[in-house]
Amino acid sequence: MIRAKRFEDARAQAGSNSELAWWVFMRISGVALVFLVLGHIYMTFLMASEKDTQVFDVVVNKLSQPVWKLYDLLILALALLHGVNGARYSIEDYIRNKPDRFWVKAVFYSVVALIFVFGALGLFIISPEMLRD
Amino acid sequence: MYRGREGQWAFVLHRLSGLAILAYLLLHVVSISLILFGEEAYNRLHHLYDLWPFRIGLILVTAGVLYHAFNGLRIAIMDFTGKGVAIQRQLWYGVMAITILGTLATIIVVMPRVVQGV
Repeated sequence: MIRAKRFEDARAQAGSNSELAWWVFMRISGVALVFLVLGHIYMTFLMASEKDTQVFDVVVNKLSQPVWKLYDLLILALALLHGVNGARYSIEDYIRNKPDRFWVKAVFYSVVALIFVFGALGLFIISPEMLRD
Repeated sequence: MYRGREGQWAFVLHRLSGLAILAYLLLHVVSISLILFGEEAYNRLHHLYDLWPFRIGLILVTAGVLYHAFNGLRIAIMDFTGKGVAIQRQLWYGVMAITILGTLATIIVVMPRVVQGV
């Protein structure tokens, strides 16, 4: 993990190009996620009762619209990349044994990849036809 | 950067809130995606989430997101402006103020609904 206060320091510290690219990605995706996620929470939690948002029809109607599919897909992709990379920093900080670290990462990345596919599939497939089941 | 004091607290809270948000995100995606298996499967789990401990949990998640979002902006300001490092401590107190006020606002909006069970 790069422990730098400025971009110039980060560039000097980065062991590899990809490490510096992740460092930059964390800042850029982070700024985008501030707006995306706070907007999401405001709309689905503060403005609406979470008991209402749990009603199947409300969720299906909202996520049937392309604009919300795109909005949530953007959050899904950015937040998972940002979150998984953040968790990688923790794994590398706390698991000092190399074989252990490899297995923890392998299992963790696989689980997250599956959840991403599951979530993206859900967003693509949801349509008003589901209401008539 | 890690000489104890506020900077260290900022880092520890950032890491903890980040990991908590990731855990919630993964659970949230799986829960909502149950919609793929129809209304029955979806509702069975979400009726559980209607219980008050889960609804208060959402307030905690919101608090974590607020902290992580605004402290993340503090980090970006330190990294890219070159001026942020000098005022990082003041910025962190600002982050804490926004987090506490935002969480209080969330409690004021959400708690009456939880108490009334709507």
